[in-house]
Amino acid sequence: MKFWGVRLASILGAVAFCFLLEGVAQGQSSFVQRLFVLAGLYVTLAVSLNLINGITGQFSIGHAAFYQVGAYTAGFCASRFFAQLNLPPAAWLLLMMITSAITAGLAGLLVGLPSLRLKGDYLAIVTLGFGEIIRIFAQNQEALGGAYGLTVAPKIQYVWAAWLLAILCIAVCRNLLRTAHGLPFLAVREDEIASSAMGVNVTQTKVVAFVLGSMFAGAAGAILAHFESFVSPPMFTMDVSFTIVTMVVLGGTGSITGSVLAAILLFYLPEKMRDFTNIPLSGVAAAFVAISAAVFAIRWVMQNFHGSAKDRAIRYLGIVVGALVIWFISKALLGNVPSLKENIDGSKLRMVVFSITLVVLMLLRPQGMLGHHEFSWDWVRSKFGKPTVKEATA
Amino acid sequence: MSLLQLDQATIKFGGLIAVNSVSFELKKGDLFGLIGPNGAGKTTCFNLITGVYKPTSGKITFDGKEIGGTPANKIANLGIARTFQNIRLFKSLSVLENVVVGGFLRHKTPLISALAYLPNVIKETQSLKAEAMELLKIVNLDKVADVRSADLSYGMQRRLEIARAMATQPKLLLLDEPAAGMNPQEKEELNAMVKHIRDEVGLTVLLIEHDMRFVMSLCERIVVLDAGKEIAAGPPDAIRSDPKVIAAYLGEAV
Repeated sequence: MKFWGVRLASILGAVAFCFLLEGVAQGQSSFVQRLFVLAGLYVTLAVSLNLINGITGQFSIGHAAFYQVGAYTAGFCASRFFAQLNLPPAAWLLLMMITSAITAGLAGLLVGLPSLRLKGDYLAIVTLGFGEIIRIFAQNQEALGGAYGLTVAPKIQYVWAAWLLAILCIAVCRNLLRTAHGLPFLAVREDEIASSAMGVNVTQTKVVAFVLGSMFAGAAGAILAHFESFVSPPMFTMDVSFTIVTMVVLGGTGSITGSVLAAILLFYLPEKMRDFTNIPLSGVAAAFVAISAAVFAIRWVMQNFHGSAKDRAIRYLGIVVGALVIWFISKALLGNVPSLKENIDGSKLRMVVFSITLVVLMLLRPQGMLGHHEFSWDWVRSKFGKPTVKEATA
Repeated sequence: MSLLQLDQATIKFGGLIAVNSVSFELKKGDLFGLIGPNGAGKTTCFNLITGVYKPTSGKITFDGKEIGGTPANKIANLGIARTFQNIRLFKSLSVLENVVVGGFLRHKTPLISALAYLPNVIKETQSLKAEAMELLKIVNLDKVADVRSADLSYGMQRRLEIARAMATQPKLLLLDEPAAGMNPQEKEELNAMVKHIRDEVGLTVLLIEHDMRFVMSLCERIVVLDAGKEIAAGPPDAIRSDPKVIAAYLGEAV
């Protein structure tokens, strides 16, 4: 009984969170609302790709294709059946999410069955190719609007739907990893030959992960189609696939919380940068100097310092403070250089900052922000050299 | 009654005949050794039995069923478990999780209820973990159950592989060089452990080993392979004095 009580409470909590977000977003501009929805969709995409790439270890770089299959399914159905069925928008959206999940899942099965016998780079190429095939197929189909795209009839802009899907996706992945059923997926990632010797059906496990991941991407596509009220092939280029892969890798492959964190960060960062319109060039140059110095210093500590985790954390903190000092000094110095005196439009540097962030993170933490770990306070404590709860009680 | 029977089992890789019409038979409760110099085809023989390779010709019968060419995961379900010569643990998983993977083939609950985290799945997970913990006690690894398996010492990793294989609850256990890289004391413990597995747990054991003293003291019957061919078979004493075996290991007398 207690179990179902907890379950009910967590479901209610999730729903309440979604409607709280909806409430917050209502007061904002349509631009901010759009950010809320897209952030939710990217969380879903990253976490569902993490199931394929991180947990099962099958490197797929065509996730946008399943997103597109979902979006087009919703778009196509809306133009044919919405008027006849006469459903309320929320019910229609849920119906479309399920339909799109099914079609995207079928697409995943179609690609997965033959290609998941391949490994590593070969699989990556096949998924990449599939992504392009789907996009170009849609581009050349009259019924799907061709290159012009498809107008999706009812515009349904619910923030809660996107985040409910994201939470569902997170919950499903987390449940999988909490039970014994998740272990074969991890085992396949670690060693296929040993897995099959332990009775794990390797191909079936991979296909299940692939289909499940595709289904969530498809459902996300349905929300996108109705939110934008429009779908077209350029919305699903390779860039989108790569952004999702980047989120998974940056968060730490296999870590659900890492994917969530990276999805929000990587999505938020370029959008936030739009606000920085007038910044002095000397400041940018100084930041470059400071960041380079910090990266070198941190790498030096990582490789040459062998003290306790606490001493290490103190050194990192020192380096960050030092970098800030360097930034101030070099900004003052560089301010006197005539060619650096003008102001530039910072928003144009969005993609530069994005890529530099990636380079820096990969240099300092190639295993991703959270590595293979999940976020927990215990984990944070262990990073700062404090004993974990387990050690403390022992 | 025979549990495993190889009848003229042969596999060719292009022009190379790795295993050349090898025949032997294991009875229930046997402690059987497979030895031979490097490259003799011992591990290939294991790979034939466990479905990694499909035999080019010949028959492999397990428990009355022909199993030549059956996929590895189905063979594990039929009741053959193995360890690997070059340790193949699930490195980033914990010691306990490694063993649970072995026991997972007996799961009853569907995946969908795991995704919903229903009580029957939680119960099943707990019982699989409890079973795994019992096995870890047998191989004396219960104290390190939460450690990442890659962080274990070499000897411990070998023992964990045995526990993982036993978790599938097999009828036949294949051990591929279980004593490799172990010190004399660890070998002593392994010897006792394998005997325990056969006598108390009641498994039939087939093992490949290079350490002659270890094999001779442990196994009751031995087959010797050389260059893919079976050159001798019999109890340890007969093997020890067999001129063909001595020739295969030390070279012919000039």
